[in-house]
Amino acid sequence: MAIIEAVALRKVFRSREREPGIGGAIASLFTQAYVDKVAVDDVSFSLEPGELVGYIGPNGAGKSTTIKMLTGILVPTSGLLRVAGIVPHAHRMANAANIGVVFGQRSQLYWDLPLRESFELLRAIYDVPRDRYLQNMKHFAEILDLDRFLSTPVRQLSLGERMRGDFAAAMLHDPKIVYLDEPTIGLDVVAKEAIREFIGTVNRDRGTTVILTTHDLADVERLSRRIILIDEGTVIYDGSLERLRDEYGTHRTLVVTLAESYPEIVVPDTEVVSREASLVQLRFNRREITAEALIRRVTERYHITDVSIIEPDIETIVRTIYLEGYHDGAVGAPS
Amino acid sequence: MTAAGPAIPARPRFRLEPYIQFAQKAMAREATYRFDVFTSVASVLVRVYLLRMVWVALYARNAAPSDLPLHAIITYTTVAMLMGLVMDIDQTRLLHDSLADGSIATDFMKPIIVPLYFFSDGTGEVLFHVMLIVPSLLLALLIVHIDVPSLSVICVFLVSFLLGYLVGFFLNFILNCIAFWTLEIQAVQLIVTWLTDLFGGEIIPLVIFPVFLQKVAFVLPFAAMFSTPLLIYVGVIRPDHYLQALGVQLLWVVVLALIATLVWRAGAKRIVVQGG
Repeated sequence: MAIIEAVALRKVFRSREREPGIGGAIASLFTQAYVDKVAVDDVSFSLEPGELVGYIGPNGAGKSTTIKMLTGILVPTSGLLRVAGIVPHAHRMANAANIGVVFGQRSQLYWDLPLRESFELLRAIYDVPRDRYLQNMKHFAEILDLDRFLSTPVRQLSLGERMRGDFAAAMLHDPKIVYLDEPTIGLDVVAKEAIREFIGTVNRDRGTTVILTTHDLADVERLSRRIILIDEGTVIYDGSLERLRDEYGTHRTLVVTLAESYPEIVVPDTEVVSREASLVQLRFNRREITAEALIRRVTERYHITDVSIIEPDIETIVRTIYLEGYHDGAVGAPS
Repeated sequence: MTAAGPAIPARPRFRLEPYIQFAQKAMAREATYRFDVFTSVASVLVRVYLLRMVWVALYARNAAPSDLPLHAIITYTTVAMLMGLVMDIDQTRLLHDSLADGSIATDFMKPIIVPLYFFSDGTGEVLFHVMLIVPSLLLALLIVHIDVPSLSVICVFLVSFLLGYLVGFFLNFILNCIAFWTLEIQAVQLIVTWLTDLFGGEIIPLVIFPVFLQKVAFVLPFAAMFSTPLLIYVGVIRPDHYLQALGVQLLWVVVLALIATLVWRAGAKRIVVQGG
């Protein structure tokens, strides 16, 4: 039984149309012209309990709007939504008890008070039993290394420390579902890794369902097996990362270090992506030519000292899809 | 799609604990800014002393009405200044700030009654300031000698003060709700502050006003904030008029609470439909 079910979810924002300038301002007092902006056009997906899903899309694709509808603070224009058996916006309070939320850009902690006080407050808000609270605090303090700064006012924490505090805060009441909105934004490598580790642990050990929206695809690569790609308010891909990589990762790059200087590099079936001094990057489609054949072809024409192959990363794949759209079973070389 | 209809979940049982905690945390937060509070107390003491000199000078030139003797008006002014330590706090500023930085969204993502959260937070802030009024009051007694009425009058005064506080709270709440539509509420707040200063009787007792202005003040809510409790304190409102005076205050509380509810609902609806 799905824990989250969205069917043909749609959200249209309506705002007053207004001509620019003073004339427009005056005219807008008398006319009722509206302009509709479709933020989420048609989003359907279904999540099983314990899944960890990357919800990915470019800015303005409708990610945040979807999350807001899931949390119950935004009423969908049409479509069906059920989170843990509840229609979120109709039962905001009941839904809120089931969920945890982390925003990378916005802290939920009390700015002026020691971190510990925010946890105390959340215990009261969610009515967490005292022993469960202590147990969770102990556990989180351990994995997130909170003890060092539990007594520090939140405003004096570093971003990494604050985010760790925010994660503990979101998980304190054992939510069934957590929504993570860009949770690693602005963090350094070490802090990012700590946060990812925590998300993975919570998902694995507690069976918490996680929806993760992020621009850092390394988060997704590290954590989720499934991704939902959204663009212009519509789901354009929903499936495993591997399949996406298989279908789109057809292009690899051969990096060649030339032994001599050549005025022009031309190798059939490849495209010169960049050339800096003796370093040349050649892009090729692995379905058209094998790496072995290509290296042979290159060495027949030029003297080289070194070669290496760059596998396509998920970032490149997703960028390609944003730019060119998704087509099922895509094989062709985008040119 | 599953065929089962959506479960209708029970609304989580109401518990007071979170709201008490909100108030406590607000007090703790204010305590981190205690230097601010001390300076505001100091500034009140300075104002009390200066206003006393003004009234002494005016009375020496016979510029004053006969029904408020000098010691009464000094008492009035001093108590008004001390009340101001509580009444002049914009205790729902947090609502405006939440709307301005968008954190209102995360407030709504918690299982709390959001307006009650703002009320609790504001009350905690105010209670912290109340704790500072007591020592200030003692100091004021030392430097200006104010009248102390009988215990029963003080009790009625405190009830009236509480009603006045609620009038002020709802007024502030409504003003901060304007931020649902436009974040620039400073000008409106400034106008309301001036109106309160003038028609609330915080600086000049309304009984000194010309009759026409007194009538204007009577149909505005501001007099319920300062003038009524103060006139009870100095004895201008006599015991046989207590019920009427408190009744008018209560009426303002009800009217403003009603308006606040409507404005809040409209604002919250805007959030859920328009995304703020």
